[in-house]
Amino acid sequence: MSIIDLKGIYTAYEGGDKPVINDLSLRVERGEYVVVGGPNSAGKTTLLESINGLVRITHGSAIVCGLDLQSNADEVRRKVGYVIQNFYFDPFTPFTVEQVVMMGRFGRLGLLNRPKNDDYDAAEKAIRLVGIEDLAHKTIGTLSGGQQQKVMIAHNIAKEPEVLMLDEPFSNLDFHAREYLQCIFRDIVRSGTPILMVAHAFDGLPEIRIHLIVMNRGRISLDAFCEASEVESIIRTECVW
Amino acid sequence: MFEPLISNNVVCHALEAMIFASVACSILGVIISRMSLSSIGFTMSHAAFAGAAIGMFLETNVQIAATLFSMGVAALIGPVSDKAKMAADATLGVLFAMSMAVAIFLISYMEYLGKGSSPGSLLYGDVISLYREEIYAMAAICLLTIAFVLAFYKEISVLMFNMKIAQAAGIRVKLVYYVLLFIIALSVALSLNIVGGLLIFVLLVTPASIAGQFCFSVKSMFIVAPLVALIVSGAGVWAGFWFTLPVVPLVALLLTGVFALSVMLSQKRRINKKML
Repeated sequence: MSIIDLKGIYTAYEGGDKPVINDLSLRVERGEYVVVGGPNSAGKTTLLESINGLVRITHGSAIVCGLDLQSNADEVRRKVGYVIQNFYFDPFTPFTVEQVVMMGRFGRLGLLNRPKNDDYDAAEKAIRLVGIEDLAHKTIGTLSGGQQQKVMIAHNIAKEPEVLMLDEPFSNLDFHAREYLQCIFRDIVRSGTPILMVAHAFDGLPEIRIHLIVMNRGRISLDAFCEASEVESIIRTECVW
Repeated sequence: MFEPLISNNVVCHALEAMIFASVACSILGVIISRMSLSSIGFTMSHAAFAGAAIGMFLETNVQIAATLFSMGVAALIGPVSDKAKMAADATLGVLFAMSMAVAIFLISYMEYLGKGSSPGSLLYGDVISLYREEIYAMAAICLLTIAFVLAFYKEISVLMFNMKIAQAAGIRVKLVYYVLLFIIALSVALSLNIVGGLLIFVLLVTPASIAGQFCFSVKSMFIVAPLVALIVSGAGVWAGFWFTLPVVPLVALLLTGVFALSVMLSQKRRINKKML
């Protein structure tokens, strides 16, 4: 069974004059690296937020991690990691990096349950994996945008999600950090966890088969598999600018 | 609680009431100030004020009416914000204005009819004429607030960090948020007779802001804010009775003074000279 199975979904915002996601169908299998490309306002972020139930699907059927999304949105969010696109933490934010990474585990723990050794181990492992051990005791608001982005990636890796979704995860990162994280993402995909990544820059994609989705005006205009080196040129051709 | 130490019953009751109110409100204040929901303080206090005015108008128990009306408003804030897709602050503004209008309308109408008592004690508090039951109720709310924070600490901390990230992490945001609103409603309604509708805001916001000047973690904020509130309230009650001054405004002024001092002394605002 596909880990994500969307059939003819529509998503509309209240007050909007047309659906943002329009009769969209998509299947994602375990171990796939899915790159979602397209012009601004094509509905890429809305697609990710529809998949984890942050935005309500108005029509169609959506099965994510074996659960019907419409009736199990909370449960789906516990299984899906999602690195959001825009965040800002003021310098007085009273949370350290290790606390923020640990928060990734809280949803799956459920109400009233305290973190156990396994949870601390998972958070520590995520911090090490992303290479932010030196920042662990710093408060997140004092970090640069790129460092905060790495923390949010570690937060979602600590969650040990069944699907990892990333919305422009490299927007604040230098080339070296992008390449380093792409290697981590490649290993995550190889371990069987699919990744869905919305991006505008495609340099440093791992040399694995890419499931490429191109979106235009709320619809999927291309759903195909290709090599990492072909991604950018295909998107340039397929996008309706 | 302090009867073996303080022989004067009035002072003893005032001290107990101020301590319970300030500890409960300052703990809640830490949460609402980080969530940028400070306006919840004045919305709830005015809802309690409107509820009390309704109680006076209907000649029923003012405290119960204030509590019920506040809880009604708390029940509206979350769903109205969700349904209307508005920021909670906008909903709070609308409900604040509605509560104030209800209160002013009823008080003016009662004056016209020549019935009801003065609403002064509801606005300014009346810490020296409290019933034992009111202090017990405040103590219960204080314990409930502490229990709420201890039980839901991990959920509250993610909510304080970032609401959207809390949702994406799979936290049951609505449940925790609605319980928080109800506890704020109860605390504010029960504090109305003690500190009054106008000054409750000081207890909700100022101790948390003072703690925010020095604390680098949420845990320490949850300890420092009630500790500051407790010490300043105790000092305020003592000074108020010793120098025959109004207790609650004195506590509010002392807290404001401590806040000013904390801003001046805050380590967070200093730049390490070694770096320059």
